[in-house]
Amino acid sequence: MPKKGAKKAKEVVDAPTPDHQENNLPDYLELQRTRVVCKPDAPIHTQGFQYSGAFAAMGVDNSVSVEKFCKNFKIEINRLTEDDMEFDMIGIDASIANAFRRILIAEVPTMAIEKIFMVDNTSVIADEVLSHRLGLIPLDADPRLFDYISDNDVPNERNTIVYKLHVSCGKGSPRITVKSGQLEWLPEGSQLSAASPAQTGDQQKTFTSFGQSQKEISEKPLGVKIDDITIARLGPGQSIELEAHAVKGVGKVHAKWSPVATAWYRMLPEVVLIKEIKGDDAVELQKKCPVNVFDIEELGDIKRAVVARPRSCTLCRECVMGPTGEKIDLRRVRDHFIFTIESTGAMPPEVLFTEAVKILEEKCERVISELS
Amino acid sequence: MTLHKISFGQIYLSKPMMTEADGETATLFPKSARLRNLTYSAPLFRVTVACVLLVTAEHISAYHDERKISQNLEECPYDQGGYFIINGSEKGSSGQYIRATLPYIRADIPIIIVFRALGFVADKDILEHICYDFSDTQMMELLRPSLEEAFVIQNQQVALDYIGKRGATVGVTREKRIKYAKEILQKEMLPHVGVGEFCETKKAYYFGYIIHRLLMCALGRRAEDDRDHYGNKRLDLAGPLLGGLFRMCVDNGKEVNLQFAIKAKTITSGLKYSLATGNWGQANQAGTRAGVSQVLNRLTYASTLSHLRRLNSPIGREGKLAKPRQLHNSHWGMMCPAETPEGQACGLVKNLALMVYITVGSAANPILEFLEEWGTENFEEISPAVIPQAAKIFVNGCWVGIHRNPDLLVKTLRRLRRQIDVNTEVGVVRDIRLKELRLYTDYGRCSRPLFIVENQRLLIKKAHIRALQQRETPDEGWHELVSKGYIEYIDTEEEETTMISMTINDLVNARDNPGEAYSETYTHCEIHPSLILGVCASIIPFPDHNQSPRNTYQSAMGKQAMGIYVTNYQLRMDTLAYVLYYPQKPLVTTRAMEHLHFRQLPAGINAIVAIACYSGYNQEDSVIMNQSSIDRGFFRSLFFRSYRDEEKKMGTLVKEEFGRPNRENTMGMRHGSYDKLDDDGLAPPGTRVSGEDVIIGKTSPIPQDDTQGQASRYSKRDHSTSLRHSESGMVDQVLLTTNADGLRFVKVRMRSVRIPQIGDKFSSRHGQKGTVGMTYTQEDMPWTIEGITPDIIVNPHAIPSRMTIGQLIECIMGKVAAHMGKEGDATPFTDVTVDNISKALHKCGYQMRGFETMYNGHTGRKLTAMIFLGPTYYQRLKHMVDDKIHSRGRGPVQILTRQPAEGRSRDGGLRFGEMERDCMIAHGAAFFLKERLFDQSDAYRVHVCEKCGLIAIANLKKNSFECRGCKNKTDIVQVHIPYACKLLFQELMAMAIAPRMLIHDTKTGKDQKKR
Repeated sequence: MPKKGAKKAKEVVDAPTPDHQENNLPDYLELQRTRVVCKPDAPIHTQGFQYSGAFAAMGVDNSVSVEKFCKNFKIEINRLTEDDMEFDMIGIDASIANAFRRILIAEVPTMAIEKIFMVDNTSVIADEVLSHRLGLIPLDADPRLFDYISDNDVPNERNTIVYKLHVSCGKGSPRITVKSGQLEWLPEGSQLSAASPAQTGDQQKTFTSFGQSQKEISEKPLGVKIDDITIARLGPGQSIELEAHAVKGVGKVHAKWSPVATAWYRMLPEVVLIKEIKGDDAVELQKKCPVNVFDIEELGDIKRAVVARPRSCTLCRECVMGPTGEKIDLRRVRDHFIFTIESTGAMPPEVLFTEAVKILEEKCERVISELS
Repeated sequence: MTLHKISFGQIYLSKPMMTEADGETATLFPKSARLRNLTYSAPLFRVTVACVLLVTAEHISAYHDERKISQNLEECPYDQGGYFIINGSEKGSSGQYIRATLPYIRADIPIIIVFRALGFVADKDILEHICYDFSDTQMMELLRPSLEEAFVIQNQQVALDYIGKRGATVGVTREKRIKYAKEILQKEMLPHVGVGEFCETKKAYYFGYIIHRLLMCALGRRAEDDRDHYGNKRLDLAGPLLGGLFRMCVDNGKEVNLQFAIKAKTITSGLKYSLATGNWGQANQAGTRAGVSQVLNRLTYASTLSHLRRLNSPIGREGKLAKPRQLHNSHWGMMCPAETPEGQACGLVKNLALMVYITVGSAANPILEFLEEWGTENFEEISPAVIPQAAKIFVNGCWVGIHRNPDLLVKTLRRLRRQIDVNTEVGVVRDIRLKELRLYTDYGRCSRPLFIVENQRLLIKKAHIRALQQRETPDEGWHELVSKGYIEYIDTEEEETTMISMTINDLVNARDNPGEAYSETYTHCEIHPSLILGVCASIIPFPDHNQSPRNTYQSAMGKQAMGIYVTNYQLRMDTLAYVLYYPQKPLVTTRAMEHLHFRQLPAGINAIVAIACYSGYNQEDSVIMNQSSIDRGFFRSLFFRSYRDEEKKMGTLVKEEFGRPNRENTMGMRHGSYDKLDDDGLAPPGTRVSGEDVIIGKTSPIPQDDTQGQASRYSKRDHSTSLRHSESGMVDQVLLTTNADGLRFVKVRMRSVRIPQIGDKFSSRHGQKGTVGMTYTQEDMPWTIEGITPDIIVNPHAIPSRMTIGQLIECIMGKVAAHMGKEGDATPFTDVTVDNISKALHKCGYQMRGFETMYNGHTGRKLTAMIFLGPTYYQRLKHMVDDKIHSRGRGPVQILTRQPAEGRSRDGGLRFGEMERDCMIAHGAAFFLKERLFDQSDAYRVHVCEKCGLIAIANLKKNSFECRGCKNKTDIVQVHIPYACKLLFQELMAMAIAPRMLIHDTKTGKDQKKR
């Protein structure tokens, strides 16, 4: 592995691959085009060359094309668990990668509690604070099964999930903690009557009008994702009774609808030894790095520094300062992104990404249709 | 003159009591006193008086043990007490300090005559008392003119007559004059030396000493006394202040009438009045000091603590003298060097440092007896000639005698004080140069504890500290350290005679290489240098890395921060309260915070702060805030406001009543909504209220006058309370009870949520305040390679000119602390260095100085700069846009001038001030100016008689105009003038000045006259 990293970097700098038919850019320009170089004080060439004809004079085509993209684009998944993933996205521009990131955070819809019908709250926590806490609880409900609700819509089984919370702490009993798991899903809709009971009808009018049970819509019960989130604590004689209505929304409106805790990427680090570092300098360099990017290769008596784990470089830039400064180049590959998604739990991270792709697709189509 | 002596004998203080209107008496607890606007007081027996009680920690805790109902008392366990509750509001009495002034002689009398009047006739005798050493020719020379001046008066009788003649008595016999002069000398001159008979010798010695010092000063051998030295100042705390007040209540200068003198009400109401209003002294009397007691600040716990340790100097604020405002050397360890307000009261209002102890005063008698025993010679035993060889001994400024071996005496005194055989508060000042030993037992001296050092070694050892940490009972700890002589209290004056090492290392240094050490004669050691700071400055991390004014700014701002001010805030009905949703204890702390309970009652959040420009919406001290963080609860807070009202009695029979007013029969109802009221006239908890909604309905009956025939439509008048028009929220709690008079009394608490928004004010702990200039959602925020987005982005321009390096160090230390899961120690004057912190940070895999590479949230590309980022403790300040936003088109006007009212609460206008006016004049915008100043303000129209130029009578309905003086009904003109102008004219007319408005230009005016 260590050799591969070093070799790959060398290829780029020293010997451009010969299968390119077109003219090649000079090394320094190629470096500027494909790499961000991190100098001791700040990174340079962060913008890159966006203009398609930037190198037209040299006979180099800098345009973006579908063929090129299809040829170069690659995704490698490094880690995938139930609620987070890391993958490498190679051969794509930062603007597109960033679009995915932004859509993931702000535009992929989820379900979250939006309305609270507070029947009783004698706890020390104020109604507003309690409601705010409830809103932030991640729900285990697939938002694709639901529609958005607007102000004049009637809440029904297709746009609202109803939960009930009724806990009380008996007089004389010790303090209790109310957990998110105590939210009870009401598949048949609200149980609170909207109008005063004086009006006698055959059926009590409630805050929702469900046509069918939500059990028929979803295969799994629409509970909360994590059931040990503390909602409130109750002292003896205190109680909370409420009904919570969850609706579909996007993270743009309120962070509670964001399907991810966060989603971000970083560019692939590339550490290049321009000159050989030997002896004490190498040992010092190896010690200096807090994340062990460098290893020592012993060739007989000579100790030589090699780049072992460039991926873990955090850019503390200690190696480019001091005696070894001139001999090392810290670079980031411009079109290689290490993308991380941390889901809140409503949907698995890989599904979130495909959702984000769909949303971007939709947006593009909208632009095209608006333009034509 | 009859002498009245009132003695209270042994007095007894019972438990705090309260008698209800129905005569039932029950124990009163601080909580109910606060809620029901009662006074927390206890009866004082022997004379039946109610005495206002200081709420002390014991009051809050003592009853806990006694009744085993600590939970039910519903007090905050962190409330340290130290205030009074008068009519429900908490009053802290801040200290006042007085300058010690030398007593003076009322008339200009040559000093020699005074000596002769005291019975010292011979020149030699007199000179012996003043100039102890006759070989001191310089001083003797200075005294010669005085001797010559008094040459004509050569015996006591003549001298007394001389003084008597210059007294108040005129035209009386010589005997009377002499008697009068004698009395003056006995009672008025130097009264602290003695007012009894046969004090002449003592007084002569003391008087001589005064002159001696004066001459020394005149000869330039001694510096003048420093007026600003804290050893020359005494602080008045609640005890002496109340003592003085007690005296003022009893002795009002009038002839004592025994019947009236023993009246329970006198003292109770006197104390209550002064504590409630802060006017120290009797009502409507001259010479009362205002603002002595103040309503206790309950915004943050730190502000409460700081308020109870505040010190006020009565020196005039206008005084141009800068000296009393400046930090003086003697303030070290006594007054906080940072915490003082800015502006008028700068340096005059001070705050006590953490370890100060103000002496409460002890009896001087034990000291005097001790001195007697240990060979002090008093004046009867000695001749003045021996004075230069011995040390003069003063007790509380009064010369009591001399001692020939002061070294031993001081040693013994100190030893006994360290064994608490002599009171620990006693100040022992040995002035070797002046050959004086001054002892102080009086109250109001500042003192502070110090470790005692002997032979360059602390007397306290590690073993003692360990024993202290492992002790089982929490009491006795400190007291033991003092009684065993490891620590002693040193007052400001004694401090000057000590050699204090700053740290223990100094002592080690002095032992190890005495040649290079600063001193080899250390007598004491500081407990810790950070204890020189006060409450508010102790919250600042690394204050020793900040520019000093920044610490002062933060000390003022920390008092406006939101957090949790007491733990029982739910049970209190404070008029105003702010509580943070999710307060956090700081990642970077100081050691003093432990004792200020800042971790238990914090006022801020550890925000991830980046120092970057990022779009420019954080220019000029504004900050960019992460909207997603706000959505997740970042700096959300609750706001409480309580409204109170009571059913007042009007006359004997008529009483106001709570209830829902009815438009049919109620007069003067407000335009707000009355719908939210319940049947009892109060808005029930949980009601959403806004604008001018009425929350307390109250009416008073209008007496029906049947004499005028038909009954009026109205039988009631409205006295309801409505919500402030700019606020809205929910009714949180309603308290209905009875007050001291048994009248129904209600408090309604309104609650609303304050979510951070553009315009709200925030600050770090380094005097770096700023308002929110923009909120960005998470996806727009820059992120680090770990995916971290900042909560707050501050502009880098806020740093260089302000030099708040402490904030930067706090940030990197916070980063280390967060990574290691520990608290960072930012106590000032410790060995922590930036390099150490940086190394620790680097070990965690970060850039040493806290910089991170970040990606732009909008473009997704790397930022071309490294960004300084890390957790910094931020405070939300109480100033929020929603409380300030204001605009008005038309609206209410003042009655007198008819100009727009002032202030947001009255929906007032925005002032078009002088500078704005100047600007418009400079632009030549005359019409605009007229519109602003006249049409939009107080435009008015009067009718003026053309003949006399005075305002005429106009009846526009009948279209008749008349000037009665001129009998003129035709030549009347209409004039537009400001109402304020019309008012001025009328006021002038009331002063018999006729302001005439001459309507026609001068030319036509002349024509008219000719006609």
